[in-house]
Amino acid sequence: MPRIERHANVVWEGNLARGSGLISAGTGAFEQLEYSNAVRIGKGTEGKTSPEELLAAAHAACLATSVAGELTRAGTPPERIDVDANIVMDEVEGKGHQIVESQVRVRVRVPGIDEDKFRRVIEEADEGCPFSTLIKASAKVSIDAELEG
Amino acid sequence: MATERSAQATWQGDLMSGSGEIHEVPSGAFGPLQVTWASRAEEEHGGKSSPEELIAAAHAACFAMAFSNELAKAGHAPERLETSATVTFVPGTGITKSALTVVGSVPGIDDAAFEEIAEQAKNGCPVSGALKGNAELTLDARLQN
Repeated sequence: MPRIERHANVVWEGNLARGSGLISAGTGAFEQLEYSNAVRIGKGTEGKTSPEELLAAAHAACLATSVAGELTRAGTPPERIDVDANIVMDEVEGKGHQIVESQVRVRVRVPGIDEDKFRRVIEEADEGCPFSTLIKASAKVSIDAELEG
Repeated sequence: MATERSAQATWQGDLMSGSGEIHEVPSGAFGPLQVTWASRAEEEHGGKSSPEELIAAAHAACFAMAFSNELAKAGHAPERLETSATVTFVPGTGITKSALTVVGSVPGIDDAAFEEIAEQAKNGCPVSGALKGNAELTLDARLQN
């Protein structure tokens, strides 16, 4: 199997409280996204992203791919998969801020599958999604999956 | 206080011939982004993002903030930190590594202290916390004053 590498870079200027950074993707898919600590831990986003929003996008895309792969392998290729991922960061005593949970909601439209088989496919997709596996060191992954009729 | 950030993606069709879209994120900062299995799992990305690239972006961004904070706490607020993360994905195996680099302009610090504080930031940033144990984390830190 090939080793695939993807990179991104950041320029940060100043200290944590008053500084800010710019995030760019190696592929060019996004460039110079501004972020700051106030926005990262605040309630409002002011149009700015954060590491946690990037992780939420990574998890949603990763799980959508895995569910598509498992359904295809099971002989029931999907019509449409919608995934919503919510990354939770919290202060943990003695450890500071930690990514503690990713809550994922999956809705799938796929012909010819029953509920039991669908549940098994979702479990396999969670196990097979590299991101789900990766973050289980510190974070709980919860998946709420729904088969659309 | 807990902070939550969410994002949505939609996939249509089977794995190999279908494709996905990461919707414009709730903050509005980026997206929609197209994703396919080929652009994710082959060397040629065709300008498309992938979960691995998003993890790299999250990790580089998280590390830069943690490092700026640790430096300021040590009395050496940085002028500028250029960080990058390269995430390695082996299809069938998983995400095996995230390699961080940083080149910093930090007044009044020596190489040894810079490297030591960088190492602390690598270990302490929340994204590192989520990745370590399952992926190898490396750091190459260089002071450029």
